[in-house]
Amino acid sequence: MQSYWFGDAGDGRCQAACGDPAALAKRLETLQATMDGFIPLRWEDAVACGTCTDRAGYLSLLREVCFLRAEQRVREEYAGKDTELLQMVRTLDEMDEVINLLSERVAEWNQVRHPTFSRKYRRTPAHIQVRRIAEKTRGALGKVAQQVDQLSAARTELAKEVSAKANRVMPNTSALIGGLVAARLMAHAGGLLPLSRLPASAIQVLGARTALFSHLRTRSPPPKHGIIFQHRRVHNASRELRGKVARALAGKLAIAARLDYYRGVAVPEFLDRAQERIDRLGGKES
Amino acid sequence: MIRIGEVLVSRGEGGVYGERMLAGARVWDPFRSKLAALYYAGTGIELAPGMKVLYLGAANGTTVSHVADYVEVVYAVEFAPRPMQDLLEVARRRENIVPIMADASRPEQYAPVMEAVDLLYQDVAQPDQAEILIRNCVFLKPDGKVILMLKTRSVDIRKSPEEVFRETIERLAAFGLEVIESTWLSPYHKDHAAIVCKIPLKETREV
Repeated sequence: MQSYWFGDAGDGRCQAACGDPAALAKRLETLQATMDGFIPLRWEDAVACGTCTDRAGYLSLLREVCFLRAEQRVREEYAGKDTELLQMVRTLDEMDEVINLLSERVAEWNQVRHPTFSRKYRRTPAHIQVRRIAEKTRGALGKVAQQVDQLSAARTELAKEVSAKANRVMPNTSALIGGLVAARLMAHAGGLLPLSRLPASAIQVLGARTALFSHLRTRSPPPKHGIIFQHRRVHNASRELRGKVARALAGKLAIAARLDYYRGVAVPEFLDRAQERIDRLGGKES
Repeated sequence: MIRIGEVLVSRGEGGVYGERMLAGARVWDPFRSKLAALYYAGTGIELAPGMKVLYLGAANGTTVSHVADYVEVVYAVEFAPRPMQDLLEVARRRENIVPIMADASRPEQYAPVMEAVDLLYQDVAQPDQAEILIRNCVFLKPDGKVILMLKTRSVDIRKSPEEVFRETIERLAAFGLEVIESTWLSPYHKDHAAIVCKIPLKETREV
């Protein structure tokens, strides 16, 4: 006897699973075939079972059951708290790229209009410059600059939301390296579950793919850090210590990600010890 | 396969992904679909009206929709939720597609809905493509055929595509499949190869 979606069949006997498509889809959830000596079903068995009367009826019922099951699975996948955060982080990173590109272009364009203007010896940050162009310039250039300025405002807003959401979704990881960087790590891994399954060594170099593969392929030195470099503890540490701090931090992050995934709440005892351990390393210098 | 002049087409309801129509038939673009590329670059397996197909790595259902135009039923397995949304939409309008959301490397998840198929088609971006294929051979009829779209770069980025290609063919042969055609899909797809196999008449399968 083998269990199929419509019931148990084999050796000429058949026991139909009863119920409507929804019930059958529910039953399908629990079915796990053993692949040793597995025999694919014969649709005629479903007819013998009384599930359907002909091939067309068989397919249409099977389709209905499979649709219900697949739709349910898609819903389950999206129900995770991290799926929206993932989209938010990716949007944020793409906005950064667009804003940088457009700011550069706007500045270049503006320079052509003012032949005597130079950016040398000026401390004006790019976004302020863009705002000034937006205020002073008429026509398309001014409009574009205005848009870039507005985009920057939206970006700031989004960054705040990402950080806040990360604090809720991944409290432990966020406590260690801040919501933004935590969310970026999660996005790079592809979700909270994949992140929680990564070894610390992988978390350490997450986001340093080029360097990692160039190391694996040639004899270039291995990367010390990827995204976690964005955290002040790593980039503020002295050059000799950076690798060490990154390694310790990554170790704690791997634990934190698992706590986040499996418990979902902040664990103060762990956080205190982890902070202390990382501070001890970096603290020698900074 | 249906060709109008030199152009590969399939007959069915159009507008699935903005494909071109030619004399009322849907143009099957080899640059978008690896299976279409195989029909241009090599021979492949003739799709026939009565066929049952197990399609692993169905993705957004673009190629699936063309296959469904030719055969009786397509069991379309896809793992990721985002492409699954599209696949479901395609399957809603084509009554011979059975959408299955499951992991192709774990056939036990969808074995309870599977009948024996004439063709196993696999196009998944996983490192263990040969193993996944072998695990799914259980669903093949005794005279069933296999088409593997080998994404060499997914197997091992450090090995050369030729090396991966050779090793995969060796693995399939060791499992007991008989390779009847193997070809690169250039110029349509870079670093992709198609391997067509059948089960030899004499049972020599061992893992």
